[in-house]
Amino acid sequence: MVKRVTFKPAPAHAWTLLWLLLAGWSLPASAGWFDDEPPLVVTVNNAYIDVYTGPGRGYPVFHALENGEPITLLKSRAGWIKIATERGLEGWVKRDDMQYTLGPDGLAPDFIDEYRSDAVVGRFEVGAALGDFGGADSVGLSLGYRFTRNFTIEADYSQQAGRYSDSEVAVVGLLHQPFPEWRVSPFLRIGGGTIKVSPSATLVDTEDREDPVLQASLGTYVYLSRRFFMRVEYRNHHLLTTRENNEEVSEWRVGFNAFF
Amino acid sequence: MASWLQRLFLKALVLTALFGPAVALAQEDDPLEPIVGADIERRHIDEDMLDTENFEVGGYVGVLGIEDFGSNTVLGLSLAYHINEDFFVETIYGSSEAQKTSYELLSGAVELLTDDERDYSYYSLAVGYKVFPGQVFMSRNLAFNTHFYLTAGVGNTEFAANRYATYSLGAGYKIYLTDMFAVDIGMRDHLFSHELFGESRQTNNFEGRIGLSVFF
Repeated sequence: MVKRVTFKPAPAHAWTLLWLLLAGWSLPASAGWFDDEPPLVVTVNNAYIDVYTGPGRGYPVFHALENGEPITLLKSRAGWIKIATERGLEGWVKRDDMQYTLGPDGLAPDFIDEYRSDAVVGRFEVGAALGDFGGADSVGLSLGYRFTRNFTIEADYSQQAGRYSDSEVAVVGLLHQPFPEWRVSPFLRIGGGTIKVSPSATLVDTEDREDPVLQASLGTYVYLSRRFFMRVEYRNHHLLTTRENNEEVSEWRVGFNAFF
Repeated sequence: MASWLQRLFLKALVLTALFGPAVALAQEDDPLEPIVGADIERRHIDEDMLDTENFEVGGYVGVLGIEDFGSNTVLGLSLAYHINEDFFVETIYGSSEAQKTSYELLSGAVELLTDDERDYSYYSLAVGYKVFPGQVFMSRNLAFNTHFYLTAGVGNTEFAANRYATYSLGAGYKIYLTDMFAVDIGMRDHLFSHELFGESRQTNNFEGRIGLSVFF
């Protein structure tokens, strides 16, 4: 009896939850998650703007936009904007030329170089790095999420190829930038994870070992463009081994990261 | 692209299950929505509203000559980010298989490596520089954008149950069929040293390849 009473509401609740999940998934989609946004139309506010066949200064100029001509902005790539004219002609203009246009509100659109970390809160960053891991060559990938002006949480995986052993390090880290508004912005980072060491097969024949590892790093972001930066870092690894002594390894690394 | 990808990520993270309906209902309940909607025409334009296409993902197929171990088909994937009109960074991953050395073939019975040890894979992180932009004309009215590029990178090679720090140099020619799709014809040289024959030996492993990539 008791069982029946207590279990009966559960399936009903589950169905409600399932329905809510489905509704939650489909409703926002119809409310604009994947809808086409209205086109971005600006008017030319200069004697002319050159239109190139491709996104680069070396491609030929094949058209000139006239003063007062409305153009639609389609997409951007590597410092160039793809546009379409009212007559359907498509081409590329320099991103810097956006300052010679006016938006629907009568102001020039914001195409400014911010070069700062606090402008990208709520974004993911993906990057790759090279380093010197206590004499071994290290290559790594990282994925981070900036959840406040100052903090980024990140997952990091790297592989090392050394003379006597190879290793793999997988860690989760928390990174703090005290001055996110600076173009060259220093950071502190702590992390923890595991390290797997495999001695080289051609030299010695011992077993692989896997140990926890703690990391502390000091480094800096150097913004190279609005969404792209270089990261230079000194990282100290503390290996918590099962043997008598713990090990420490120092690593220098340089990486490139992009926000998306 | 960046913006919808971002939304997708955030969506997956938060799993909007219970938020979703609330937001949607709030929007539907707003009686002013259709009238105020016209105002959208007077909005201020910001760079973040524009779709970005700075990432490039691609696949390639080619032939890799593994020094002393013959040549074989190589299959690979690449991911690139275009920083500006001149530079890009690229990560590539490829896999192939080594064949028998001449010594193994001539001697008949000697096996230097097991089958598993003949699996060959590499990855590399490289910086690229785009040169000679231009166009090729397929017909009177059809032209494709093209450019050459040079790359230099660092990475690892997994071969013979070992990992080797590897430098790679490359060059290639890229033909843009549309703004989104490009054909890439290129070559790479993967340099690393190994001690499989007793003493340390620097090897050059050349690869010729053709690939297709998509910008997003």
